[in-house]
Amino acid sequence: MRAMWEFFFGVGWLATLTSYLTITTAILVAGSLVMMLLTWIERRGLGYMQDRKGPNRVGPFGLFQPIAEAIKTITKEDITPTDADRWVHFLAPVVILASTVAAFAVIPWGNLIPVDINVGVLYIVAVSAVHTVGILMAGWASNNKFALLGGMRGVAQAISYEIPQVLSLVSIVMLVGSMSVVDVIQNQMDPYGNILSWHIFTPVGLLSFIVFWIASLAEGERPPFDNPEAESELVAGYMTEYGGMKFAVLFLANYLTNFAICAVTAGVFLGGGNGPGSDIPILGTLLSVFYFLAKSLGLFFVMVWIRGVVPRLRIDELMHFAWKFLLPLALVNIFSTSLWIAIIRWGAEQGMGIAEALGAPGSIARIAVAWVVTAIINVVAFFLVARLNATRGVTTYQATPTAV
Amino acid sequence: MTATPEQTTATQTALQPVGGGGVVVVERKQPGQSYGQGIAKGMAVVIRHFAKSFTSRIDDKSDQAGMFTVEYPEERMELPEAYRNMPVLLYDDKTGQELCTSCFQCERICPPKVIHITQAKDPNTGKAVPAAEEFIIEYDSCMSCGLCHEICPFDAIKMDHFYELSTHDHLAMDQNKAALDRPISYYQAIAPNLWAAVEANAMKKLQNNVKRRPGNIGVAPHMIGKTQKALPTAAAAGAGAAAAARPKTPVAAIGKNMSPEKVARLEAIRAAKRGGATMPGESEIVAPSPVASGESGLHVAESQAGLAPSPATTPAPATGPVAAVGQSMSDEKKARLEAIRAAKRAQGGGQ
Amino acid sequence: MLKTEELQINIGPQHPSTHGVFRLMATVDGETVVHLEPVFGYLHRNHEQLGEIWTYLQTITITDRLDYFNSMINEHGYCMTVEKLASIEVPERAEYIRVIMSELSRILNHAAAIGFWLQDMGSWGTTLMFGFRQREMIMDIFESVGGSRMMCNYMRFGGVARDLTPNLVEQINLFLEGFPQFIDDFERLMMENEILLARSRNVGVLPKELAAAYSVTGPVIRGSGIPYDIRRAEPYSIYDRFAFDIPVGSVGDVYDRFLVRMEEMRQSHRILRQAMEQLPQASGSYINQAYKAASKQQGLRLPAGEAYCRVESPKGELGYYIVSNGGNSAYRYGIRAPSLINLTALNDMCRGYTVADIVVILGSIDIVMGEVDR
Repeated sequence: MRAMWEFFFGVGWLATLTSYLTITTAILVAGSLVMMLLTWIERRGLGYMQDRKGPNRVGPFGLFQPIAEAIKTITKEDITPTDADRWVHFLAPVVILASTVAAFAVIPWGNLIPVDINVGVLYIVAVSAVHTVGILMAGWASNNKFALLGGMRGVAQAISYEIPQVLSLVSIVMLVGSMSVVDVIQNQMDPYGNILSWHIFTPVGLLSFIVFWIASLAEGERPPFDNPEAESELVAGYMTEYGGMKFAVLFLANYLTNFAICAVTAGVFLGGGNGPGSDIPILGTLLSVFYFLAKSLGLFFVMVWIRGVVPRLRIDELMHFAWKFLLPLALVNIFSTSLWIAIIRWGAEQGMGIAEALGAPGSIARIAVAWVVTAIINVVAFFLVARLNATRGVTTYQATPTAV
Repeated sequence: MTATPEQTTATQTALQPVGGGGVVVVERKQPGQSYGQGIAKGMAVVIRHFAKSFTSRIDDKSDQAGMFTVEYPEERMELPEAYRNMPVLLYDDKTGQELCTSCFQCERICPPKVIHITQAKDPNTGKAVPAAEEFIIEYDSCMSCGLCHEICPFDAIKMDHFYELSTHDHLAMDQNKAALDRPISYYQAIAPNLWAAVEANAMKKLQNNVKRRPGNIGVAPHMIGKTQKALPTAAAAGAGAAAAARPKTPVAAIGKNMSPEKVARLEAIRAAKRGGATMPGESEIVAPSPVASGESGLHVAESQAGLAPSPATTPAPATGPVAAVGQSMSDEKKARLEAIRAAKRAQGGGQ
Repeated sequence: MLKTEELQINIGPQHPSTHGVFRLMATVDGETVVHLEPVFGYLHRNHEQLGEIWTYLQTITITDRLDYFNSMINEHGYCMTVEKLASIEVPERAEYIRVIMSELSRILNHAAAIGFWLQDMGSWGTTLMFGFRQREMIMDIFESVGGSRMMCNYMRFGGVARDLTPNLVEQINLFLEGFPQFIDDFERLMMENEILLARSRNVGVLPKELAAAYSVTGPVIRGSGIPYDIRRAEPYSIYDRFAFDIPVGSVGDVYDRFLVRMEEMRQSHRILRQAMEQLPQASGSYINQAYKAASKQQGLRLPAGEAYCRVESPKGELGYYIVSNGGNSAYRYGIRAPSLINLTALNDMCRGYTVADIVVILGSIDIVMGEVDR
């Protein structure tokens, strides 16, 4: 597109600006549409899981329900509580939405890549962390105790879960050797369309996926980690005092975050837009977008599925889970990733002749050895950590009964 | 969750029942060996329900999976016969005659006191007749308990199955007689068995009452025009049948405290009716049984005065009953009644 | 140590998990509850006063509105009290019908209560919908028999208002056939859920002694390990004819109360099976013939005196106290509402736990504000 603009107008900066504006608009429009689709999937999916229909009145299969609700929320009165910090209250949704949308800059939609920066993975993690500031702003500015508790929970949760999330991505970055999202996806590309080349199908990638996915659920405030907005406890958490347009923005940001999580997971672990025929010139691009969306929405359905089953974790259990379960696993996974790399890339000449010592030289044998070694380490670590958590991790409070 | 009555009943001998059974200590699931399989089991259950929701729906009461939704405006639940929503009044399909005799049983039993009945009276004499002049139910305060329909000795008040009553206008929820009246066939359609159980009794009572209702009294308002022609024949048939079956009873019943000449005149009227003649004219009407009718006439007047006038009601002039009742009364009786009425007025003034 | 400020949160009267208009004044230190004060009375409807003004028959209609999740048991208790005072015989068949309706009501209540409890815990709707499906089916039965889904107004002095038709018997049997499937499904869905175990084990512990001291009843006291059930302690109606077990817990936490409710549903199912089998052999009509006419019931005048009757409602011991001075309405009318008395132990159950636990503990008591405030 940039080349096209340069060809027609010959003005470099204008072409750059216009092309990026176009891309931004496309992302915003597509993001909003996808968000609407997500709310529909969530409600219909949950409905069918609970033996009921879900929204089915507006449009075919209730597909236009989100539009009706958008109109409703947008036309509602904008309310700011009397004693709220007006500016912070106003800015919080903006900050939250901005950080969420910014993360989409580097997420490739199949073969369509908005921006390819060489620290893409880091960028995603960093930008989505700004989200936390917005939650705190919303919780603080509302001048509401529920909102404050929700905001505090949100911050504590987001900061805790960012660590296993990042550490699980470190394994993948080590495997790929690059922080660019495009490189991560390229690394999973197999010339024969073999899906076994996806990261999730290696022991290292699988554990990384589990840790990343769980941590991301917490980051996206999805059940069972929806404590910041825990409906049954904190009414709506940090969103309690928001209504109308501002609430719609928060809601939009929430679902965009969820979609970003699904998109990143699909890209990092499930090969992004890879699939049969995705390298054909033009049709392949369409196909890759289709694969990408299918994978992302499939992952979102898993989110909905989880939501249909689990109760919410208490905030302290949630912290324990992050620090005592996910973090050790992520660290173990980094260790086994390094072993994987060592076994596959280094032979006897580098002083790491494990495969040769076992009497099986050659790249296939190396992969097999690496597979077995890392699988054993990861499985043992998983069960060990789970076991340790189950026996030691339970905190028991002692109620102090008063004399009756 | 295994029942181990043997272990625990020993300590609970005091609670040993005749029927058997003991005390079970519920089995607590010990955590420790769980690696997420509990959630996985739950997810399997949920996805099974998800899949089944596409293929089947719960029709059978023993089904546990499948779509449960009844999509309301298009589909409706089948209502059981006993279902009760709001009370309605029944009238006979052919003649339009209401079953209600304004016995005030329902008004008395109604827990939230939303039923207000005005007894009808003979337009000429002011004599109370067994029919409702106006019958108002405040639907907005009705609690649908169904006691009125349970207590009604004439099976005149029944619980409707119609439930789409939402409105913005609360006052419009005050239903008058015209709005409450339903033909018997309507009730028969919604609750065939319940009606079949009471039909014979209800129709017999209706026939008995019809004989004591002059003219259009006790006829569903919207049926008045339509049944003007059918009425005499129907009434004649009904009365004729009754008279043929038990020729003495009507006389005995009506004539309990009547002078012989009144009985004779009534007999004449009845004969005229039987012959298919028009309803008795104004001049022919006589109020029998002065004291009794005077009392009930009073009741009507008082209840009308006590009632908050609703838009639909057109209360009879307050002087009507006095004039009408007084026609065949002696002076001292009039005076006594006046005294009673004054006392009542003083009593019920605050109503 | 850093000095921190305690925060007072008003949970309710407008809050998603207070089960009605109920207010909890919680003093929290961070997320830990230091003190908790339940405030109620927002739903006061003058129930007991109304019962002294209305006739006995009319009062049945408002006992439905006490604990609107199990109107049948409320009516049962009230009718028993009046029958005791007036020495009205209840035919055997009527007793069977009453027991069937009471136990269906118990299943209805527990299924919904567990659903609500898990909803409070954050299980988004699935458990609630599964529980509500059972409730829906039972309410269909109630609708067919009593005419209304929630406010059944079915029991009468000396029996019940309408007989069970063969059609209805079939309907109840069908429900009983499918019900074990629900319990199995539900157990697979939730019983081993790690998050449920983490959230409920050792939360809201109410020790045995404290439970007895607070005179809590129902699943709460049974969860604490005391097998106190009116159906066994003072068998009323014909409960002494059925074999059923009383489930008790061992620790007294919310998990025990959950398990007790699950097991009680099974036991209710067991009672229902027996009752449905024995129903055809039961003698007598569905109502005492002398009181069959509604007018007879309306004009009922009780001899002067007083009576107290209690039934095992799903929430606990539901007692009715009627003093009559010979008139056609009660001179004094009082109710021992289990929800209200179970609620008094809330502060002791919640102290030391977190804000998130408050709603779980409150949900495990299973209160209905209609009964608490009356």
